[in-house]
Amino acid sequence: MSAHVSSAHASIRPGPGTPRPYTFPGFSRTRLDSGLQVIACHLPGRQVGSARLIMEGGIAREPAELAGVATLAARSMTEGTESLDAAAFADAAERLGADISVDAGWDSLQGSVVVPVSRLEPALGLLADAVLHPTFLAEEVTRLRAERLNDIKQEYADPNQRAQITFLPTIYTPDSPYGRPSGGSAATVGRLDRDAIEAHYRRYAGPQDATLVVAGDLGGVDVPAIAAHLFGTWQGAAPAPGTPPVAEALESTSVTLVARPGAVQSSIVVGHVGVARLVPDFLPITLMVSILGGLFTSRLNLKLREEKGYTYGARAYFDFRRQAGPFGAGTAVATGVTVEAIDDVLTEIRRLHDEGVTPDELALAQDYLVGIFPLAFETPEAISQAIARMVVYGLPEDYFQTYRPAMQAVTVEEANRAAADHLRPDRIAIVTVGDPALEAPLKEAGFGPLTVVGDTAPDEEEG
Amino acid sequence: MTAGNGQAPTVNFTDERLSNGLRLIMSRDPLAPVVAVNIWYNVGSRHEVPGQTGLAHLFEHMMFQGSRNVGKAEHFRLISGAGGTLNGTTWVDRTNYFETVPSHHLELVLWLEADRMGTLLDALGQETLDNQRDVVKNEKRQSYDNRPYGSSSEKLQAAVFPEGHPYHHSTIGSMKDLDAASLEDVRAFFRTYYAPNNAVLSIVGDFEPDVARAWVEKHFGPIPANPNTPAPPDGALPPHIGAEVRQVVPDRVPMSRLYFGYRAPPLGTPEFDALSMATIVLAQGKGSRLYNRLVRGKELAQDVGLGAYEWIGGAALAMGWSTARNEGELEALEEAYHEGVASLAREPPTEEEMTRARATVERDELESLQRVAERADRLSMYATLFDRPRMMNDRLPSLLAVTPEEIREATEAILVPENRVVLSYVPEGSA
Repeated sequence: MSAHVSSAHASIRPGPGTPRPYTFPGFSRTRLDSGLQVIACHLPGRQVGSARLIMEGGIAREPAELAGVATLAARSMTEGTESLDAAAFADAAERLGADISVDAGWDSLQGSVVVPVSRLEPALGLLADAVLHPTFLAEEVTRLRAERLNDIKQEYADPNQRAQITFLPTIYTPDSPYGRPSGGSAATVGRLDRDAIEAHYRRYAGPQDATLVVAGDLGGVDVPAIAAHLFGTWQGAAPAPGTPPVAEALESTSVTLVARPGAVQSSIVVGHVGVARLVPDFLPITLMVSILGGLFTSRLNLKLREEKGYTYGARAYFDFRRQAGPFGAGTAVATGVTVEAIDDVLTEIRRLHDEGVTPDELALAQDYLVGIFPLAFETPEAISQAIARMVVYGLPEDYFQTYRPAMQAVTVEEANRAAADHLRPDRIAIVTVGDPALEAPLKEAGFGPLTVVGDTAPDEEEG
Repeated sequence: MTAGNGQAPTVNFTDERLSNGLRLIMSRDPLAPVVAVNIWYNVGSRHEVPGQTGLAHLFEHMMFQGSRNVGKAEHFRLISGAGGTLNGTTWVDRTNYFETVPSHHLELVLWLEADRMGTLLDALGQETLDNQRDVVKNEKRQSYDNRPYGSSSEKLQAAVFPEGHPYHHSTIGSMKDLDAASLEDVRAFFRTYYAPNNAVLSIVGDFEPDVARAWVEKHFGPIPANPNTPAPPDGALPPHIGAEVRQVVPDRVPMSRLYFGYRAPPLGTPEFDALSMATIVLAQGKGSRLYNRLVRGKELAQDVGLGAYEWIGGAALAMGWSTARNEGELEALEEAYHEGVASLAREPPTEEEMTRARATVERDELESLQRVAERADRLSMYATLFDRPRMMNDRLPSLLAVTPEEIREATEAILVPENRVVLSYVPEGSA
């Protein structure tokens, strides 16, 4: 029946109407005497507020032998304070309908509160309690450490995470923090005790380098006064030094097979060291990698999924951090097409590097990244995350105002230069977690020298 | 410290039908210059017949492969170019398709949805079917077959619902049935279920309803109804499985984990709401009863969970899990889990537990409903499943009104040994 539907109008695709104005919401900054910066973002009508406390002491600052300490220090903060034990703290938060957590990223420690704005102040009070007065009780630290060690076992079992665990130390030198698993290894986590965790906390969790961001309907809420009341007595932690440098380990293209008997798919990562967040050509890089593997209609996804049917999806990314984070292209494919899929990924990286983008591709990526703003920042939590990125990377105050015109102004030549400068198809790491029988075809394919490693559990490895 | 003070804003909406039966629900919210479009088709994996498991979901993929005026991948390209997001999902009771875009692209979205509702078969070909069959088989490998514990949901469904029941098989289907799906199967599926009178279209956000209504009439109005849309399959079942079912599943997993499946009353019953509140008291958050007992107190568990799927076909599935912190303690863990559940069947939750559960459900609901896309999905859901879109506004008050005694009764009636499936995932070679 549908073939006989006729409509005079239906065949003509409608064009857009008049765009409605959108500007990224404004926010105010103040600074407490202690040094804590306070940013308030009033979003009328947004009844679920988001608060975020950004501190130094991210994963990149961990000593190599104590990898995982930032994550455990962060998570321990909500597991008991001078006035509330771990269970009482959880109960108090949940009775407010508040989701309160502290966790570690590569470049910061961040506390997060999501709560109806009517209960914002008491929920922020709990976060302040966790950050200012944690007890790091030995029994709680021991329990969290055991949970982390078990998490690491699960990370090894997941094929995509297993591929990352092998990929990162392949591309970074051993003294580069970014080559280590973000939560530490079994060996390093195993030696983390209460003293190490508390020392990391004392070194970094202080007001001088910290920022509190509060977003939501703040009508009648005096955020600076609340912050002064809750965080006014916070002391400690000298300003943090610059973040440790990272270095590339890869001297030529290498292939690594993590041999997993019985795997019905191959998890593939192809990549190398990328660039830091504050590179001058951040926008052209963002555009060209969207074309390679960011959009649904990216070259990798169209080739590997929509043309070949090798995979459920393929993507590529630059992980922008204070220092040069990784560039990677990843996918999971049926075992029998592993070599073909790797070849396609390499071909697409090389083609973008050599030939650049087309004007149509660039326009689509620009239209997406510019147009997505009002959707991407629909909720207070998304806005507080964006402001947190601004704080962590030291982006200018008008960053969100200038982003869209600057993105729209990027030229084909600039995107092509970014691809030529920052993709490196001739010196690249290829990691596959898959069936051991892939050894012969991977060797035969000649991508580069092949290393086969066993699918070991984390505690079978050396720290 | 009060919770559950009913501050959820009421969502106002209009509810009407086109002459071809398409239900149109519109809700204006000018807070951000964006608009969400959401269509629920009243067809999911429970409508599939033997030999065609996975067809509803495979079909969903075909909806992105083009129609008379839209090329392969063009739907994605157009929505991305508009600065929008989109997707489709298939579940046991329904299939949904949704886009959120800056408001000035609303007509484009309506046109795209109408073009595939009206003219999908014009573009359907063997090549795209074979391509998406491969994509879906890789989705199954990635999400189920090659993932640790990945077979648990398939095994629970198969054990909680008897052979022949619409929920017995998983939405992803079997490789064998996916391989067997033919162009004619896809065509027949489209003709049967993808008709305007079997769909609900919701529009939520910053837009002018009168203009949108005219666009909907223009683009969807000419699509003919299918007067022969079949009734959903009968899913009536006895309330209990009858006797405990136990399976040991050796798998490529690093740690032993228990999965629990229970046959539950369907969404839309007071018992389902009471069960939902029971799952929050028992296992949602670090203040929950099972977390306190199993993860903190006895340190038997790495994690713990329990939840009820919002299914309507005669019964629903409640599913729990817990990972053993140490190998060799699986029996103790299971005993502690069951005892934690049984404690709620004996004694209703305390006032403190009720405060926590109500505040949690309220925060979750408010957080979800912030997004226009979620509101559009809920309106489509309640209209499709219950013919009652106003459940959108009734649901939170219903959950907040559940009494401690109703929670105890639901636990005692549902989460009992004769109504449960226990899967023990153990590392390969250890069983």
